[in-house]
Amino acid sequence: MVFEPFEDESDFELLADKLGEDDPAVRRVAVMDLADTADPEAIPLIASTVKDESPEVRLQAAIALGEFDGLATATALCLLLQDTDNRVIQAATDSLSELKDPASAEPMLDLTSHDNAKVREGALLGLKQLRRPDAMANGIEAMKDPVPAVRIQAVGVVGYLKAEEALPALIASCKDADPEVRRTAVGALAFSRSSHAKDALLVALADEHWAVREIAAEVLGKHSEGLDGQKLMPLLDDPYWQVRVKAVRSLGKLRVVEAVDKIGSQLDEVTSNLRKEAAAALGEIAEKSALPYLEKLVDDPDPDVRKNVRWALGRIG
Amino acid sequence: MPLANTPTSVPVVVDDEKCIADKGCTVCVDVCPLDVLRISDLTGKAYMKYDECWYCMPCEADCPTDAVTVNIPYLLR
Repeated sequence: MVFEPFEDESDFELLADKLGEDDPAVRRVAVMDLADTADPEAIPLIASTVKDESPEVRLQAAIALGEFDGLATATALCLLLQDTDNRVIQAATDSLSELKDPASAEPMLDLTSHDNAKVREGALLGLKQLRRPDAMANGIEAMKDPVPAVRIQAVGVVGYLKAEEALPALIASCKDADPEVRRTAVGALAFSRSSHAKDALLVALADEHWAVREIAAEVLGKHSEGLDGQKLMPLLDDPYWQVRVKAVRSLGKLRVVEAVDKIGSQLDEVTSNLRKEAAAALGEIAEKSALPYLEKLVDDPDPDVRKNVRWALGRIG
Repeated sequence: MPLANTPTSVPVVVDDEKCIADKGCTVCVDVCPLDVLRISDLTGKAYMKYDECWYCMPCEADCPTDAVTVNIPYLLR
């Protein structure tokens, strides 16, 4: 084929003609050119390719629609989400997650109980960012889905709404069989200051999976009112340094004076991130009994640790 | 910039079988910050015209048909 110079990308009629060409590569490039126009007029033209016989063209359409927003875009993406090609489904999922217009939610709400788990997952991922209150019922229903990946997205949808009436469902998901669902649910409790949420977070501190303990320790640091911070102290003996880092940070935020000695012992850790956080936490608590621990680290090899140690020593005075 | 005389030994290699530049695609040419890629008048396919590369990778990453390969020198990997 002889190479031809490009036509003007804003020429919709020409691009529409190209979408009718026999060669799928020409149709694919036309879809790419339509996306490059960034003109909403291109949406119906791109949407007309969602049933194209070539999966490559449908894949390009799913990618191209990520450049646009609104109901028409979401409707086309939801059709692509039900495609037979996994690459198209993945690209449609990615593009749905980019939508910001709340009106985009309509077609997604119908897909949260679709037969295909990938479709349910994609629809819920798209709904999450849109924060539509009417998506809560779909989210809560999907939290009982047999597929963990779907339950994770469902927890995301409900968690993003930050609604107290969703607390019982979120707390129930903190006991899910899948650790990633539990981790997401525990993280989602950060918005609530209720005693029920706090109790669920305290239970999560003893979860069998370290990532759940880590997020629980982090979230509890934001619960300054009515929380016995000493309940975080056992986490300073956790075998995972990631958990200890979050526990140290939260103990500092909560200013748990009783934790000074145990936090001080973290300053001997090999992981410099942990030493840095421990120094910052001791500065937050600002107790004179922390001085011997901090003075030992004035010449720490890590400049971030030294910086925090000096800041902490300045605060204690 | 030096002209690339041997297309097979330059950092950016384009698989002509996969390249759809002859259908109107210019993604790799458009994303290259050094502007060293061109579409061949003879074949209609993309190729590296100038032997200069920052190994920044968008040409490989954005190619819709995975036709572009950037061969990163061993010492830069």
